[in-house]
Amino acid sequence: MKKKKAVIYTIVGFVVAAVLLFPIIWMLPAAFKPRAELFGIPNTFFPKDPTLDNFTKVFQMKLNGYGFVRSLFVTLLVATGATALSLAVNTMAGYVFARLNFRGKNVLWIYFLCTMFIPGITILLTSIKVVNMLGMMDTVFVLIIPAASNAYNIFFFRQFYLGIPENIEEAAVVDGASKFKIFYKIFLPMSVTPMVVIGVGVFMGNYNSFLWPTLTIVNQPNLAMVMQVIRLLSSSYASRFGIVIAATVMSLIIPLTVFGVFQKKIIEGIAITGMK
Amino acid sequence: MKAVFRKKYKAADSLTAYGMLFPAFAILSIFGVLPLLMAIGESFQDYTTKAFTFANFDYILKTPEFLKSFGNAILFTVIITALMLVLSFLFAHIVKGMHSSCGSIVKIVIYVPCLISSVATSIIFTFLLNYGGGLITSILVAMKLEPISFLTQGIWPQTVVIAVTLWCGFGYNTLVMLAGLLNIPKDYYEAAAIDGAGAFTCMIRITIPGMTNYFILMLINLITGNMQMLDIPYMITGGGPLNRTLTPALYLYNSFRDSSRTQNVTIAGALVIMVVILVINAVAFGLMRSKKSED
Repeated sequence: MKKKKAVIYTIVGFVVAAVLLFPIIWMLPAAFKPRAELFGIPNTFFPKDPTLDNFTKVFQMKLNGYGFVRSLFVTLLVATGATALSLAVNTMAGYVFARLNFRGKNVLWIYFLCTMFIPGITILLTSIKVVNMLGMMDTVFVLIIPAASNAYNIFFFRQFYLGIPENIEEAAVVDGASKFKIFYKIFLPMSVTPMVVIGVGVFMGNYNSFLWPTLTIVNQPNLAMVMQVIRLLSSSYASRFGIVIAATVMSLIIPLTVFGVFQKKIIEGIAITGMK
Repeated sequence: MKAVFRKKYKAADSLTAYGMLFPAFAILSIFGVLPLLMAIGESFQDYTTKAFTFANFDYILKTPEFLKSFGNAILFTVIITALMLVLSFLFAHIVKGMHSSCGSIVKIVIYVPCLISSVATSIIFTFLLNYGGGLITSILVAMKLEPISFLTQGIWPQTVVIAVTLWCGFGYNTLVMLAGLLNIPKDYYEAAAIDGAGAFTCMIRITIPGMTNYFILMLINLITGNMQMLDIPYMITGGGPLNRTLTPALYLYNSFRDSSRTQNVTIAGALVIMVVILVINAVAFGLMRSKKSED
């Protein structure tokens, strides 16, 4: 009886997983289809006459003077930088709230928590004004600094550091190490798992972001993020959709690779983040 | 949750603490709190005279497009939240009941859509749903049915927005639900089985009460997220047809980019969204809490 149930569940589970994956799978071979085959009745999965034309075009084309591969590379760099900055800022803050005592701690903690309730859309326009006043428009800073600190992530790191036993740092305290050194030498190396979980999330958010770069990177095409470029392609190459699909497929390589490398920690991490 | 802090502070510790908090504090203040204060200020300001006024709120709350978008958002949020909670709860049970090695494959696969950006998602579904010769059209034709214009016809545009949003978030929510299920001690079920409780009783008496915290968390996340929905309708339907998939966030986004509309009115609208989200969340939280205290 129990065994039969497990078999049925396994079948249902795989069917649902296949259905979810299907739209992505269906798109992949379409990148190799010539223009005439892309849309048609009946629509076939495999190209009858496979071609690399779409990819060649993606490699060759210049949008405002810059190539697609370059924009992929720039996006990768920006997302990596943003992730590093975000991890540095948020681990420190999480550690301070978990492990240090100082005047104004409660008030500051409540202040940090309150920022969670500010919806992005509410401050979209005024954020752009702030960025403009600071002279950050069309610079790399606008892509990495404003979103670097996030109360959810600080909360998550704080919870993690609260769970580490008190006596861990005692030896270091006896040796007279400063609190910052204790953080740097003891706590940071222990937080690889939460850093991977949060870091991958931040990386994906930056790599996939579209609205913010569209509004803040306006006159600097060499900083255009990859999703901005694909969006631009989909309107300017609407009649040659194969090129848009080829570019989209190429843009998926980086996130899928990152997920492939860290999938075990990410899946575990969602179980932990869900518990807060 | 509530921590009791010792009242004795070491001066050196305080200095380190302020130093290490400074980057986070500065970023949250400059790019979070300051824009919010500016938004509040500007929403009560007349565009030309800069005098204090309620006119912006009056104007936005009488704008039919904005009100329509709110109605749409509430409809989307209710349907998506309900479906997401039920579907991810059920599927988490399925994954839990699977052979564990198969389960870990399924967990990875269902998370893949969560990695895809909204831009790529819109391209994937535009391709699939293409009226002239996409896969769905050719299936309909093969079944001797009329092709459907998914982005314009009847309730299809709304259905597409809902389905795509579910597709994007289903994997993540299932994994959170699964974590909640696995968090309930096994002894509860064993004890219940000894007492002769059936599957249904176990569900009502053990599983659902045990998951309350997860439900609250997901409910708040889903409401907050879906009330701010922007990308999917923007990129797939453009808010159309006839504003039937227009959301408040998309309305505001379009207004931001349209210099002919006064910004103060748009910002007033942005604050209205925030208040609505906060109120709905407070109500949801309150309901869940009171239900919990009954148990």
